[in-house]
Amino acid sequence: MSPLRERAAVSYVLAAPGGLWMLVALVAPTLFIAWVSFWASRTFALSNALTLANYVKFFTRPAYVRVLGDTVEQAIVMMLITGVIGYSIAYFLVVHVRRPAFQLALFLLLVVPFWTSALIRTIAWIPFLGVNGVINQALLLLGIVDRPVEAFLFTRTGITLAQTSFYTLLATGPVVYTLRNIPRSLPEAAQCLHATPLRVFWRIVFPLTLPGVVIGQILVFLNVMADFATAQAIGGHKLAFLGNLVILLYESGQLTFAAVVGVLLMIAMLLGVAVLLKVVDIRRLGAP
Amino acid sequence: MIPWRVRQRLVAATLGTVVGLFLLYQWLPLLIMAVLSFTGPEGGTTFPMRGVSLHWYGELFRVQMIDDFKPPMARSVALALACSITTATLSVAAAQAMRARFRGSGVYFYLILLGVMAPGLLVGFGVALLARMFGLGLAWYSSTFAVHIVWTLPFGFLTMLAVFNRFDRRLEEAALTLRATRWTTFWRITFPLVLPGVIGAGLFGFTLSYDEFARSLFATGPEQTLPLVIYAQFDRQLQPTLYAIGTMTTIVSLGAVTVFALLFRLVKRRNRI
Repeated sequence: MSPLRERAAVSYVLAAPGGLWMLVALVAPTLFIAWVSFWASRTFALSNALTLANYVKFFTRPAYVRVLGDTVEQAIVMMLITGVIGYSIAYFLVVHVRRPAFQLALFLLLVVPFWTSALIRTIAWIPFLGVNGVINQALLLLGIVDRPVEAFLFTRTGITLAQTSFYTLLATGPVVYTLRNIPRSLPEAAQCLHATPLRVFWRIVFPLTLPGVVIGQILVFLNVMADFATAQAIGGHKLAFLGNLVILLYESGQLTFAAVVGVLLMIAMLLGVAVLLKVVDIRRLGAP
Repeated sequence: MIPWRVRQRLVAATLGTVVGLFLLYQWLPLLIMAVLSFTGPEGGTTFPMRGVSLHWYGELFRVQMIDDFKPPMARSVALALACSITTATLSVAAAQAMRARFRGSGVYFYLILLGVMAPGLLVGFGVALLARMFGLGLAWYSSTFAVHIVWTLPFGFLTMLAVFNRFDRRLEEAALTLRATRWTTFWRITFPLVLPGVIGAGLFGFTLSYDEFARSLFATGPEQTLPLVIYAQFDRQLQPTLYAIGTMTTIVSLGAVTVFALLFRLVKRRNRI
């Protein structure tokens, strides 16, 4: 065997710690949730009989099914919003900002809040959205409304406003990456052949950035589906997504039913990612 | 028809406005929180401010029965440091292993990436259920640490994969041809060249763990981390103390990013020479 070829045995040893960590702290707990979700009894014992009744219970209660629908709907709304804004930001950064210093400054201004705690950023939205909040005070001052609007705090609109600020950059990053990799000669060639700018964008540029768009959409989808903190903080305890339902059930001691909701959340997320992954192979990212 | 130059200017202006508004949108809440944290002792959680003071920062450092933020902050920093080192080590090992495309490396890739895809709340929930099954206690230095690595490792791993993808294999081959051992080759050639990536992986480990809330929620025992304590306080009552702690932790996060960025530049510069 050539000494230059990597040895498989070494690879297994190197791969083992990370892999085992994932198996113990991620795969095992996840499978355990799935198992618990089928338990027929509320007592905590491995000897429990298994049943589908917990799932039947979920789908026969309109209130629970509505939470599932709301969660998916919110994810789709957020994907649309962050997709459009995120792409615009990426396009501006890569195509329209020429000076490297300006590019770096903009990049830092965008990324710095993104690096701060999500929880803190959620809390920071409260003085903005309330009845006495900044938005309302600004609206009153400008004379746009004559009474404070109550539609921001404790509503879906408020959650959407906050989530837009949290997740848009997830949709920007991968697009920046793919846009950068487009050789300038490609759109220029199309222009030489008298393609209109709009046509150049839709036929050349956009298809080449599609992998970035899809990865951004996956990130936004996963984050919004799993987000419960925004809903809890800004929605007050009035609005719930699947994650909030898990907490609610866990706190009231209904562990098996919390597990059912957890499993359904994971299935919904897996389905979404499977659909989006049909479009690109993420392992090719970063390759020259 | 509008001339080409004008049209391009129009597009740039429109997109520039979008970016500008978005920046405002990102920064205003944080800035307003920072301003409101300096309100007077009588001040509330919205405008108008009642005077200017450091009252709420002082409140943070006064020892209280329930909401003393100092021990949780120390725990969070210790946990973040542990996650930083562990993430950097494990992701270098895992990414180095992936270069050989061993049997099962495709599955392995997705196994690690699962950590990003799995909803944090549920990972914590599953660990809590398992711990309960086996009668094990939950603690920030054991169960919380375990679930934080699940979250931070994929980021470090992807960073290192990208670094190795662009890595010039001929440098290692040259060393091996000159009869350096694999061990020497790795530490003398490979590692110094990928060090900026390793620092990046460590940064992910630190900041992601320091801010993590969803995974910690169910997996942490009675000794809570900072985000959990902040959230509990927030759930009870919103006070300007929270703005003060928010402003302070934001500064800690930014400090961490700055330190890592400086390290990164230092290494890059050294590699160039």
